[in-house]
Amino acid sequence: MQQRFVLKNESSELPVFRAKMRTFLSEKGWPEKNTGEWLLVLDEALTNVIRHAYSGTPGEIIVEISDEPSKTEFMIEDHGKRFDPTQAPTPKLPKETPGGLGVHFIRQLTDRFEYDNSFQGGNRIYLMRYKPSSARSGS
Amino acid sequence: MKILNSVQNQVQVVEVEGDLDFHSSPNLRQALNQLADKKAPKIIIQLKKVGYMDSSGIATFVEALQKTKKYQGKLVLAEMAPAVRSVFEIAKLDGIFVLSDSMSDALQKVGA
Repeated sequence: MQQRFVLKNESSELPVFRAKMRTFLSEKGWPEKNTGEWLLVLDEALTNVIRHAYSGTPGEIIVEISDEPSKTEFMIEDHGKRFDPTQAPTPKLPKETPGGLGVHFIRQLTDRFEYDNSFQGGNRIYLMRYKPSSARSGS
Repeated sequence: MKILNSVQNQVQVVEVEGDLDFHSSPNLRQALNQLADKKAPKIIIQLKKVGYMDSSGIATFVEALQKTKKYQGKLVLAEMAPAVRSVFEIAKLDGIFVLSDSMSDALQKVGA
């Protein structure tokens, strides 16, 4: 099952998209705690696009979701300047200066976090997480 | 997001309501900067009505902690929802901040 969303490059899109994803993930069987973790992952990935790829210039963010009985995968694509979040350094925790934690959250809470180096004209990342066994009948 | 400022037992209490993300955290940052600028000695940030927080929210609190430490101020984060607390735990910041499960405990910890 696939779904596609097109978001504007604006921070005001974040809470609206989170609300949609909360419903979607819950319908796909993700437990409440894991749904919250997914929302954090998506939020951090989208915030990176807004801050680093577009840096205040207008643009679109495309989100495609693939849901299967065993896993959910998100593809996030933009047409901003090249920014590969998978190359961000691993922070030494606890980090007592602001910033640098978003990518750490993504790494901690996904089973696949990949940047598509072959994608031209912007950035494309993949985020995937396997469902816990209790959630595998929701698709 | 709503931010309510009040004073209880000579403690600045900042009650936050709503999601704390890249969109809303600048408002909280501004409110906390104002308190730090006037060197408020005791600050409690009440978070029971915050159901979601991302790294922008964390960065806001880290900055506030740094600023209050500079003038020996005390900062306590009170009544965090489990979802918000787990974000602190993933960042391993639960040992850096003074956290409190209740306002009465927070007032005690801040020295009210």
